[in-house]
Amino acid sequence: MDFTYSEEQEMLRKMAREFLEKECPERFVRDMEKDEKGYSPALWQQIADLGWLGLVFPEKYGGSDGTVTDMAVLYEEFGRALFPSPHLSTVILSGLTLNYAGSEAQKAEYLPKIASGKTVMALALTEPESSWDGKAWDPEGVTLRARQDGDDYVLNGAKLFVHDAAAADYLLVATRTRATTKPVNGITLFLVNARDPGVQITPLVTIAGDKQCEVVFKDVRVPKANIVGELHHGWEPLTRAIKVATVLLCAQMLGASQKLLEMTLDYAKTRVQFEMPIGIHQYVQEHCVKLYADTDGIKWATYLAAWKLTKGEGAEFEVAVAKAWASDAYERVAWYAHQVFAGVGFTVLHGVVPLYSKRGKVWQLYLGDTKYHKEKIVEQLEKWPAPEMPQGPRRGLWDNDPELIIPAWYEPFVAKCKPAA
Amino acid sequence: MDFGFTPEQEKLRQEVYDFFLKELPEDFHPSLSNRRANSLPQHEFWMELQKKAGAKGYLAPGWSKEAGGLGLSDIEQGVVSEMSGYWGATWPDYMGTRICGPPLNVFGTEEQKKRFLPPIASGEVIWWEAFTEPDAGSDESNVSLKAVPDGDDYVLNGQKHFMTAPGPADFLYTLARTAQTTPKHRGLSLFLVDAHSPGLSYRPLPTMGVFTMEIFFENVRVPKNNLLGEMNRGFYHAMVTFEFERTNTTTGGGAKRGLEELIQFAKKERRNGKPLIEDPEMRDILAERAIEWQLNWLGGWRDAWFFKERKRLGSPPPSTSNLREKNAAAPRAEALMDNLGLYGQLKRNSKYSKFGGMAESAWQTSRSMHPAGTIEIAKVVLAGRGLGLPRIPAKFNKEIAKSLTEKE
Repeated sequence: MDFTYSEEQEMLRKMAREFLEKECPERFVRDMEKDEKGYSPALWQQIADLGWLGLVFPEKYGGSDGTVTDMAVLYEEFGRALFPSPHLSTVILSGLTLNYAGSEAQKAEYLPKIASGKTVMALALTEPESSWDGKAWDPEGVTLRARQDGDDYVLNGAKLFVHDAAAADYLLVATRTRATTKPVNGITLFLVNARDPGVQITPLVTIAGDKQCEVVFKDVRVPKANIVGELHHGWEPLTRAIKVATVLLCAQMLGASQKLLEMTLDYAKTRVQFEMPIGIHQYVQEHCVKLYADTDGIKWATYLAAWKLTKGEGAEFEVAVAKAWASDAYERVAWYAHQVFAGVGFTVLHGVVPLYSKRGKVWQLYLGDTKYHKEKIVEQLEKWPAPEMPQGPRRGLWDNDPELIIPAWYEPFVAKCKPAA
Repeated sequence: MDFGFTPEQEKLRQEVYDFFLKELPEDFHPSLSNRRANSLPQHEFWMELQKKAGAKGYLAPGWSKEAGGLGLSDIEQGVVSEMSGYWGATWPDYMGTRICGPPLNVFGTEEQKKRFLPPIASGEVIWWEAFTEPDAGSDESNVSLKAVPDGDDYVLNGQKHFMTAPGPADFLYTLARTAQTTPKHRGLSLFLVDAHSPGLSYRPLPTMGVFTMEIFFENVRVPKNNLLGEMNRGFYHAMVTFEFERTNTTTGGGAKRGLEELIQFAKKERRNGKPLIEDPEMRDILAERAIEWQLNWLGGWRDAWFFKERKRLGSPPPSTSNLREKNAAAPRAEALMDNLGLYGQLKRNSKYSKFGGMAESAWQTSRSMHPAGTIEIAKVVLAGRGLGLPRIPAKFNKEIAKSLTEKE
């Protein structure tokens, strides 16, 4: 057991914190809300040079063979700084899926381009109807048709809530290539040029000013060579990448949550009312204590899942627990921060808390909300084996258990009491 | 980060698992049978099993071999505790191994360690922690049980209550006032007391959960060499004791078994012609319990690991397990009881009771989350000592109290 970060991870954290404090101040976060693409290509190139875009890729594709746990350390810092970037979309959701399922040629072409910052990608998975029906992250939610036509496939349909599509050079699109009784067996992934004239990308106006988009495909021709993974069997590698992304999203919530904790404690200790710092009042203390406890929970649930994924385990249960907990806990954490900061935390021009609480809402809904992950948890529980029953000889001591208010040993015990000398 | 165990620790886990599998009788249901020793034969059974576990070193594997342990670490101690929680074994002397023994290991003289520790590790004795008093509940420093030196002894006079009593005690681990000081907590000392010293008398104080007692001290003579640690440093020593008390993997073990049992129950029971496990409310209950178990497991092991590494890493980060469990227990119990509807109120002996009558007993127990401090105290401690939030210095308490009675 070891509940601390490795030396290398501490170094990565320190480097990331210093870099983002300098390059991603509050001003930058606010500017990016208004930016058309929602990120800075210049900064993107800088983090490519730092090695953050290839961290999880194999060395031969320009990466450095980092683990999911290493990535989580980095994502904690992303969350802390509210770093606006298409990292999760490009490196994890698209890049890792390519790494898991792409052909040698695809990996050799695209992964170095991602790692060096030349290519931005986005995952086009969720659809208008599936998102409304609560099936956004389920295989049956994928209905966008890809019809074979010679050596090409033709895509028609719409995707919604596509993060970072406006910034992307390529879209990794989950399509339906055949109707099957098991919806999971008819999904094919395509790498689609985002600048294709048939692809229409429209940013959505969301709570946090992040860049989610509607993406409409109209007779978009994609060569067979752009299928990622096997025809009809794109779901498995995609969900593997989504699992990693889910844990990293939790790590991002953790970093943001830790920052909220620091800010809230600092404010509670320095803001004076009734001649005393407000943190002396137990109502205020209660918010702080719960904020800390919830944050602590996010931390360990997240790193347990990251550790399991790093070991190569499926970690279905741990990932679902981490996201179910993190989403709920983060909602509470931001609420406590709002209460302690009160009016100041409610102002949008100067207040920092709203930046954190509104993004939290996006993260909560992304890659499956609490309800979705709770269902995933129960699906795993149903597979747990029945517990073993004891095998010692029967004693007959618990039939008609007496449930005495005062246990039977009491009388003989007090009978041994001796009076004072 | 590494959440795994060494092969030796895994082997120990399997050994202890097998021990309980073989030793517990087939008619004891680990999660559903009443774990309280009500009848004398039940008490005798648990004592017998405790001694068997002691003989194998399972009661205190983390203690030195001289103290009767296996010379292993807090992690092995945690492994064994988790398994005993999983199998629903309540040791009559769980306070000896978890609460009274560890500080003896730290503050005891060589003679005290030799005298008191081996019998705890071998499971022959029962210890009770006697700290709480009518006027020293949350305010532990307000202890008024008086200890006055007299020849080779201290003479104790006063009262304790809410002593959790899982079986008849041989020894008491108690906190008494040895000096009138300001602040109050600088005049307290720890004593190890024979539970049948002349002048000790008891009265039952049953609760909705565990069985507790009142205890009266009338000129009870305690030999001077039964003072534990430094004179007047008892409160500080006791704070360390609370650190031991909160290092807890047992609850996680019990929660895992309880969850496994509830899954089986929900699979077998039917409601409205469908398996209960298909009921959305029951699915939510299961998911909530799974999340709580996972966080509890993590919290318990985090505390144990940081505790083990305290010499290298300094004081552990503030624990949250205690607070989280205190907050979660009542809603968890209520959710299950509500789901069972009218059946939820039935006690375990009813022929109609569902899930072994566990819903109502868990509900009753969850009305009190007070052992080792109320929820409120847990929050105050975490806020002050953990997060460094300010508090009104105790020296102003009297003035404040006085001002409340004065007219404007």
